Amino acid sequence: MMNHDAQLRLQAYLDGELPEQEAAEVKGRLARDPEAQLLLAELQNTSKALSGHEAEAKLPESREFFWSRIQREIQLQERLAEPVPKAPWTSWLQGQFAPAGGLAFVAILLTVLVFHSRAGAGQYGEMELASDDMGAYTFRDQKDKMTMVWFYDRNNDSQFTETSPFASVVPQ
Amino acid sequence: MKTEDHSSASDEQLVKAAKRGEMAAFEELVARHRDKIYARAFSMMRNEDEAVDLSQEAWVKSWQRLKQFQGESSFGTWMTRIVINLCLDQLRKRKRQRTESIEEMNEESGGVERQMPVVTTNPTERLERAELRKRIDAALGQLSHEHRTVLVLHEFEDMEYKEIARTMECSIGTVMSRLFYARRKMAVLLANLKTEELK
Repeated sequence: MMNHDAQLRLQAYLDGELPEQEAAEVKGRLARDPEAQLLLAELQNTSKALSGHEAEAKLPESREFFWSRIQREIQLQERLAEPVPKAPWTSWLQGQFAPAGGLAFVAILLTVLVFHSRAGAGQYGEMELASDDMGAYTFRDQKDKMTMVWFYDRNNDSQFTETSPFASVVPQ
Repeated sequence: MKTEDHSSASDEQLVKAAKRGEMAAFEELVARHRDKIYARAFSMMRNEDEAVDLSQEAWVKSWQRLKQFQGESSFGTWMTRIVINLCLDQLRKRKRQRTESIEEMNEESGGVERQMPVVTTNPTERLERAELRKRIDAALGQLSHEHRTVLVLHEFEDMEYKEIARTMECSIGTVMSRLFYARRKMAVLLANLKTEELK
């Protein structure tokens, strides 16, 4: 029984794919091996039957219709391959709105900061005193960003003493 | 070249005109070769819709790559190679999507059919040309894509083992094995068709 390698060599011999030396070896085997002869005959018959006998298939579309499909696809591909041109007015708009947009951003930022700053001032400015006998004065120094609070005794006439023990400083 | 001259122009002349951007020249090339390109796609895919779509895609690709065509082979051969490559890409995609069965793995290596008894009579002897074509087509339809493709490339496109291996992205050993299996299977299928006819 021929092994697979020998079968493939026989086929390669039939197809003219073997170098001269190997082809001679296969030829020698064929002369003395009936099994190889039968297999070669089968392979030859199949090859001959196929050669030039491919079924004819016709495109099931008319010339015009098939061409229109191809043409449409070519045009579509070419359009897709082109870089998208910018409309002139989009550049003009960009030129006009870029600085305006920047200004708007700065304005929004300032508004937020001022609002935050005011909210912060309110937080420290509002004070409740538990005792009716106590009074308080506040002073806010914007430059140094600090708030000073003076507490005093309402019953004492001398409200502002130089050594008020309750003065406190709240840095902002 | 004037548009009305296209029908009498040679493929080479049409290719030159199409390279200059003449769509009418390219249309003439499509008209001349469209059936052959479709037939090749159909022989590989065995599906009419897929064959139409792939042959259309091949024509679009050929228009885009026309400048690369240097005339080393005929335009028809060049176009056929394009459609074959598209079909192989499609078959590879399809193969990735499905799980290979044990049966397919057997087919790949030759399986039990490698040991089949030899068909001693010629099953296609004395058959009329049309009948022979019909039987061959029916038998080809029963092969796996891999075996059908290798047979088509070798027997119909006259490709050598090396070229088939390059086209199918596999080794020469695989090509030889697939071709051997495909031929043996074809012999059996053609013999069976003859037996059925005699019954």
